[in-house]
Amino acid sequence: MGKRSILFALPAFIIYSALLIVPILLAFMLSFTSWTGYAANPIHYVGIANFIDLWKDEKFLHSIWVTLRLVLVVTLGSNALGLIFALLLNKSGKLTNVFRSVFFVPFVFSTVAVSFIWSSIISYTGVINYLLGVVGLETWQTDFIGNANHAIWSISIIEIWKTVGFNMVIYLAALQTVPAELYEACTIDGGNARNKFRHVTLPMIVPGISISVLMSVINEMKQFDLVKVITDGGPGSGTETIAYHIISQAFGYNLLGYSSAIALVLFVAVVLVSIAHLSITRRFEVES
Amino acid sequence: MRAGRSTFFIRMILLVSVVLYAIPLYLSIVNIFKTTDQITLNPFAIPSSLNLDNLTYVLNNPNVHLYKMYLNTLIIAVSATLLTLLFTAMAAFYTSRSSGKLSGILHVYFIMGIMVPYAIVYIPLVIIFRDFHLIGTLHGLILVFISGNIPFAFFMYHGFMKTAPRELEESAAIDGAGQFRTFWQIIFPLLKPCTTTTAIFIGLSMWNDFLTPLLIGQVHTITLGIYTAIGPHSTNWGQMFAFVFFGTFPVVVAYLFAQKQFVSGLTAGALKG
Repeated sequence: MGKRSILFALPAFIIYSALLIVPILLAFMLSFTSWTGYAANPIHYVGIANFIDLWKDEKFLHSIWVTLRLVLVVTLGSNALGLIFALLLNKSGKLTNVFRSVFFVPFVFSTVAVSFIWSSIISYTGVINYLLGVVGLETWQTDFIGNANHAIWSISIIEIWKTVGFNMVIYLAALQTVPAELYEACTIDGGNARNKFRHVTLPMIVPGISISVLMSVINEMKQFDLVKVITDGGPGSGTETIAYHIISQAFGYNLLGYSSAIALVLFVAVVLVSIAHLSITRRFEVES
Repeated sequence: MRAGRSTFFIRMILLVSVVLYAIPLYLSIVNIFKTTDQITLNPFAIPSSLNLDNLTYVLNNPNVHLYKMYLNTLIIAVSATLLTLLFTAMAAFYTSRSSGKLSGILHVYFIMGIMVPYAIVYIPLVIIFRDFHLIGTLHGLILVFISGNIPFAFFMYHGFMKTAPRELEESAAIDGAGQFRTFWQIIFPLLKPCTTTTAIFIGLSMWNDFLTPLLIGQVHTITLGIYTAIGPHSTNWGQMFAFVFFGTFPVVVAYLFAQKQFVSGLTAGALKG
């Protein structure tokens, strides 16, 4: 078999290097400067000052807190519901297919579309307040994005609604890998439905759980779109996530050096999560 | 007896969840055909008549340019998807069929892009694009989408090609076909299952992408277009639902026609992490 010409890899290599690798290297260099993005201004090297400043930046610290809450609530919600729906729909049938589609369709919508649909539900003149009015609970009526705490919960619920179908599909694929003989063996040993789930299903779908959880965690760590459309970071800056903070510092305040430093921290955090995930998964695989 | 009760219980949970899930979908269909006043009065009501005002408003509004948005999105998504697939399949053909050190290095080089959060890329990219006058151009946006999707597509193709049989290539080589002809006439058609899956995953993500056209292109794709047209604080629900309809209609139709490929494409996409 002859050697393949390296020319095959050339177009991908050029585009990928020029528009992904070079920008990352540039961001790395920018993060040690105080550049504001105007070509006329000289670029000042400031050492690690940006990396020290960001731990004193209350908006940034708050954005970590917001992001962590989103990661936690959405990961738990989407995975728990995704697994439950997958277990309930892990059979064939026409109705099953329709149900699966209902859960899955929101995932193919753009975040912008999802955000607008939901703002008609949670806004002050929206559907939830309408329903509260119908059942006579006017005192419960509120603006669900009017304060940061409510807004983060609202955003979490919307994100769970949008992503659960995706997690469900991963769990359905994982459930397909469980051999039927194992369930039969469990029945012969006198196991009930709960035993089957605990001792057969759960251990067998660990790879599915691990991928599904990791995907949710990484996606929420990078959350920007929903916050941008639903609250635009507000009220105040109460719902700014880390990614939102990076973009607003970079393009709202022209702090390109500083925002690159935050982006680098986020990058490292994502890499660390991926590495941690890899080592945890490996340990699981050795044990089982 | 107990089994019967628990089955009933499970069915009830399922039914309630499906209904709760379907409510936003139901609302976004029925409310297209109502005025905003009717929506506020009762968002759940079935429209009394098929009022098409909201849809025609979006179609005929001279400030909206719906066709232009569709055209932009189509040009960008289609050409960026096709080029990503072609370039990446070629690169994976090299890395999966050569055993040298260089191909191993290239493999890692392409794969590591999967972990990059895109926020870090945008800042320098905007500067580069400004200097090269690529802001607001379709080809600029296409290039960004290609570069961003190479790691995932490469991951898919490399894995697929590693397991693909090589006899056909060898006999093509014996018959005197050059490498490029072998790739184009033998390999690329063989990759079709992988191509379909990857195309759906990256095509959908390009169609729905919001941040890239917002920051880098400032090109009105359908997603950015409806965002700008509705505006952040709109409460004109009727028109908003019409916009959302035009933004989501094509992907929902595509999904209904190719459900299996969508699901397998996105499950494969899950391996991305």
